Amino acid sequence: MDTWTDRLSEYLDDTLAGSERAALDAHLAGCAACRATLDELRRVVARARGLEDRPPAADLWPGIAERIGVSPDVVSLSARRRARRIALSVPQLIAAGIALVLVGGTAVRLALPRVPRAAVAFDGARPGSATVVSWAGPAISASDSAVLELRAALAIGRSSGQIDAATVRVLEQSLMTIDSAVTQARRALDTDPNSLYLHQHLAETLRRKSQFLRRATTLVSART
Amino acid sequence: MQTTGPGTATLVKDPATTAADAEAADATMAASGDGRAFERLYRAHVARIHSLVRRMLDADEADDLTQDIFVRAWDKLHTFRGEAAFGTWLHRLAVNVILARRKRVAVDRGRRASDPEALETVSGRRETPEMTVDFEEAIGRLPDGARQVFILHDVAGYRHEEIADLLGVAPGTSKSQLHHARTALRKRLK
Repeated sequence: MDTWTDRLSEYLDDTLAGSERAALDAHLAGCAACRATLDELRRVVARARGLEDRPPAADLWPGIAERIGVSPDVVSLSARRRARRIALSVPQLIAAGIALVLVGGTAVRLALPRVPRAAVAFDGARPGSATVVSWAGPAISASDSAVLELRAALAIGRSSGQIDAATVRVLEQSLMTIDSAVTQARRALDTDPNSLYLHQHLAETLRRKSQFLRRATTLVSART
Repeated sequence: MQTTGPGTATLVKDPATTAADAEAADATMAASGDGRAFERLYRAHVARIHSLVRRMLDADEADDLTQDIFVRAWDKLHTFRGEAAFGTWLHRLAVNVILARRKRVAVDRGRRASDPEALETVSGRRETPEMTVDFEEAIGRLPDGARQVFILHDVAGYRHEEIADLLGVAPGTSKSQLHHARTALRKRLK
């Protein structure tokens, strides 16, 4: 143990001033004990960084869900209809739809080409090997069907007077905005068809659109 | 983002960036009341948060406090601006909840906040290959101050300035506590 021993952690973390580090370097060259201690400290740090996180033995989600007032169960759409269970209010749905578009729109803008096409690389794919139509077609068709289902439910609600015109209008606007996000993503893919990120982004946008439509339809159906 | 050469960049986001985008979207959805989006965030982060609580407090408090942290996160989601990754925001919130909890229980327990014998207890139990290595148990035996700094710095990756800010101590104190903790633990790994 010497005057340098207490500085070994700082040396290890590279937080010593340049002159101190140089002096400690010189000391370490001739002090086997400090070199050994430094090695041990290095092992402690490596061990700490390698600690694995473990989940709790029991699932804590049901307790959390109860405390924050959401259902802990995964309930199918048909079960939701039977139970007339409403997960979100109309303002929440609208907010969620708008939030989706804001996040999605920003992501697409960030991903749009700002460099010459020649500089764009895509590992593991041949040019033109992936197209929007090849994988997204069924998802787009499915979401179109879901839009029709929601619009039908909206029409019933509006004609029966159980859903007011303002609610119908904002839901329609949300749908238009979400569709715009999908269109934006598809256009970006037309420009850069080999971008893995854009493919993932479109898939995620479609997934969220589908989720939004399911919730909106459930909500509207519950009111009619 | 990958680079292909000087001045060029691919448009391919790496999986971590894409996951961060998805989490930011989930956080936004959750802030608007989407419980399922919040559940996805819970599933993604519960192991890290629970481990943090378990290491900084006692294991028997870990479940309750982990729940408290996620409930607090739900209440505070509107303050998440996406400037940092959601995981970073949540971790910082968790640390604050844990430290507040520690302050409340510190007086009751009169734990080894500055007990030099505790360091000896940790370092005196040498680890052998035959023993089940329980590094985490050794961390749990550290005095409170050294334990907090060690976990925050060496396990969680905080800088001394951040730790000093969180704990209300000088950065030099954080460095000193870290060295004491490492010195106590190093003999366990001999």
